[in-house]
Amino acid sequence: MSVVSLGSQQSIIDRRAKVINTFKEELIRRLNLPYTPDDLHEDVSLLGAGLGLDSLDALEIVLCVENCFGIKIPDEDISVLRSINTIVDFVIAEQDKKGGAQ
Amino acid sequence: MRELPLKNVLSAAGATLSERFGAQVVSRCADAATEYKHIRDAVGLTDFSHIQAFRIPEEKAIDFLDTLVAGNVAKTRYGRVLHTLIANDNGELCADCYVANNDTEFILLCESIVDDAALRALVMDSGGADAGVVDLNADHAILSVDGYKAWAVIKELFGADVLGLPYLSIENYEFEGETIRLFRAGKTSEFGYTLLVPARIAESFFDKLTTLVKAQGGGLCGVDIHSELRLEGRFFNIYAEGVRAKDPLQLGLQWMIDFDKGAFRGSEAIIARRSAGIKEKIIGLRTESAAQKLDIGSEIYAGSEKVATITASCLSHVLGCRVGLALFPVSIAFAGLSFSLGKDGPAVQTISMPPIMPRSLTVKLDEM
Repeated sequence: MSVVSLGSQQSIIDRRAKVINTFKEELIRRLNLPYTPDDLHEDVSLLGAGLGLDSLDALEIVLCVENCFGIKIPDEDISVLRSINTIVDFVIAEQDKKGGAQ
Repeated sequence: MRELPLKNVLSAAGATLSERFGAQVVSRCADAATEYKHIRDAVGLTDFSHIQAFRIPEEKAIDFLDTLVAGNVAKTRYGRVLHTLIANDNGELCADCYVANNDTEFILLCESIVDDAALRALVMDSGGADAGVVDLNADHAILSVDGYKAWAVIKELFGADVLGLPYLSIENYEFEGETIRLFRAGKTSEFGYTLLVPARIAESFFDKLTTLVKAQGGGLCGVDIHSELRLEGRFFNIYAEGVRAKDPLQLGLQWMIDFDKGAFRGSEAIIARRSAGIKEKIIGLRTESAAQKLDIGSEIYAGSEKVATITASCLSHVLGCRVGLALFPVSIAFAGLSFSLGKDGPAVQTISMPPIMPRSLTVKLDEM
């Protein structure tokens, strides 16, 4: 289907898709997950329910974000780790604070 | 229609009863705002006896269950619960399941969108008769205790040991000489416990639970509020989006599936669709305000082009707006985009899910 009608939103899609793909590939590699990037829905819960990752995995996720994007997730902010999408929101917001898309 | 074992008690308590896929359910016990508050701030007690429950003796359970469900039962350790699904031969969703490894037995709990007879046929046709499957619905009630303070109710009942139970685990407890199987589970984002209770003691157990729940400031709830809580917390709800989009891959349920294990019911169709790549997937969206409608079946437009249809919707008490789910073409299935509800209608925005941070996530039971 055409997304021409989405107009200026195409840049939002492209930027988000890039961050998502980078993060998913690194997450799968680091945690040795038995999935492809397409298998990981961006809204699936990461900790407890959904993928069922534990607190050690959570540390890997934090390192994963740091390694991929040079961005540190504050220790106390577990709300960021709810899903891939919430992590991507955090990354994009931090990139914007640092001065635009990277 | 299969009736609830506690229907008389529940009716006397003011419950509104209805039907869901051939089974009686408690829809509501109070207004939605009150029930919502029970679970988010205190604790709600809900009858879940409409879900189907089976017992499988340990001997042949793993082989049988691994050909029936999509997840890997062989990797499910003693005392743990696997969250997975049952599909039909076309790879379409039939049930959202918990499979519990409970020492000498496995327990299968199914929230299904087929009636008892159809699910039983699926189970038996997959080797259930040979595995010695026993239907538990005839002589058990299933109760769910959910909420920010649910742990306090269960601790009062069974002792402080329950605080050490991890999410997705099972343990047996005694009550009036009968064994109650306790699942630490739940799909409300708050603490959740599902109890499989022998019918002989169901009424006295329900009375005891009701007293404890009220002591924590909570009360009785119906299944309708669970649908709203599941959506707000982005737990999969087979009774909402699962009814309207039956492909587990479009629904983002790949995490319930072990693609590397041997064949299971519907695996051929699911794996073929996975190889071909999905064309649509479900994502979340929100309205600008609580007053704006977001009805199921409403169409989403990008300019003059229809791009999606709403499959689930509820009022988010936390966000103060309506949130929903819709199947979008994968090329535009991203959070942060603006669309309109209907041609030239009010704006809706795709969002990251889950959109809320439940208070229960900040409580560490094992440190109490």
